Amino acid sequence: MAVHKPEVDDTLSRLHKQHAKDKENDRVETGSFPVVGRKPKRVSLDANRSRARVITNIFIVVLCALLGYGYVIQLNNTRSTYETMSEEELTRLISETSNQVQLQEQRRNELQAQLNSLQDAADKQQEAQRIAQQNEETSGILSGRLPAEGEGVTISISHGSIEAVEASTMFSLIEELRNAGAEVIAINNVRVITQTYIADGENGLICDDVELSSPYVIKAIGDPQNLQNAVNIAGGVGSRLKVKFGAEVTVNASDRVRIDEVAEVPQYQYAKTVE
Amino acid sequence: MAAVLGLIIGVVVGIFVRPDIPVFLQPYLPIMVVAALDALLGAARAYFQRSFSDKVFVISFFTNVITATLLVVLGNQLGVGSQLQTAVIVVLGIRIFSNVSAIRRFIFRS
Repeated sequence: MAVHKPEVDDTLSRLHKQHAKDKENDRVETGSFPVVGRKPKRVSLDANRSRARVITNIFIVVLCALLGYGYVIQLNNTRSTYETMSEEELTRLISETSNQVQLQEQRRNELQAQLNSLQDAADKQQEAQRIAQQNEETSGILSGRLPAEGEGVTISISHGSIEAVEASTMFSLIEELRNAGAEVIAINNVRVITQTYIADGENGLICDDVELSSPYVIKAIGDPQNLQNAVNIAGGVGSRLKVKFGAEVTVNASDRVRIDEVAEVPQYQYAKTVE
Repeated sequence: MAAVLGLIIGVVVGIFVRPDIPVFLQPYLPIMVVAALDALLGAARAYFQRSFSDKVFVISFFTNVITATLLVVLGNQLGVGSQLQTAVIVVLGIRIFSNVSAIRRFIFRS
C-alpha cells in the first residue's frame, strides 16, 4: 500500500494542476466568438462507413424521386376531381348546382315575362300607329289635305247658252255626286270639302272665294257607273243643266282620275275634341 | 445534390410513366406530396444548420407522409375529412414557410 500511495498522490495532484490550468484558460478571453464549427471530418477508414453514406444518398434520391413523381402524377390527375370527392361534397355540389339552376330558371322566367310585356307593348304601339296612319290618310282625304286619285268621272259643263249656270244647280250637282258615293270632288281648281260654298258672282260662279270660269270641270272619285248615273239620270241635274241653262254636259268615266287640288285645313276656333 | 437529382428523376419518370392511381389513394396523394415537400424542406434547413442526419430525414419523410395521410383518413371516417385536410395543409404550409425563411436566413447571412 505504501508503495502505491505516492503514485496516487501524484495522479491526484496532476489532475488538480490540470484542472486549475483549464479554469485559467477558460477565463482568458481570446477574442474569438463561438462559431458553429464544421464537424470534423471523420476519417472514413472503414468500408462500412462509406457504404452507409452511399446507401443514405440512394435513400435520399429515391425519396425525392417519389416526391417528384407524386407531384407530377397529381398534376396530371386533376381532371378526375369528381371521382376523388367524398359523398358529402358531391351532394353539396349537386344541391348547389340545382339551386343555381333554379335561380337561373327563375331569372329566365322573369326575363321572358318582361320580354312578353315589352312585345305586347310594341305590338300595341304598332297597332296604334297603324290606326293613326289610317286615320290620318282618311281624314286627310276627307278634309282635302291630301291629293287623291282613283276611279271616277270627269264632268265638263260648258257655259250655258240660255243663261249662266246658277250656283244652286251646281251645288245640287255636287250633292248628287256625293249621294252617289263620290269620295273626293274638285271643281276646276278648287277642292270641294265640307265647308265649301258656291255662290253666284258677276262673271260666273264663286267657289271658296275663287272665281270659276266656264267651262266648269268637275272631277269626282267614286264608282264611275254610279256617278255617271247620278248626273245623267232622267230629270236629274244633268238634264236640268241642258234644258234650263242650255249647257253642254259631258261625262267621262275614267280609271284614273287624279285630284291634285288641296284645301287649306281650317283652324277650329270653337270646336274642341272630346277626350 | 442527391435531392435535386432525385427530384429531377422523379419528375421525368412521372412525365413518361403515367400509371393509374388506385382510387382509394387518389384523395390522399396531394396531402402526401405536401407532407413530403415539408420533410424535404426540413432536411434542407437541417443541412444548412449542419445538423443534417440521413436517418432523421428518411424517418421524418415517411412519418410526415404517413401521419398526414392517416389524419385525413381519420377525418374522412369521422366525417370531417375536408376540414381536417385543410388543417393538415395549413399546418404543413406554415412549416414550409418557416423552413424556407430559416433557409433564407442562412443563405443571406453567410
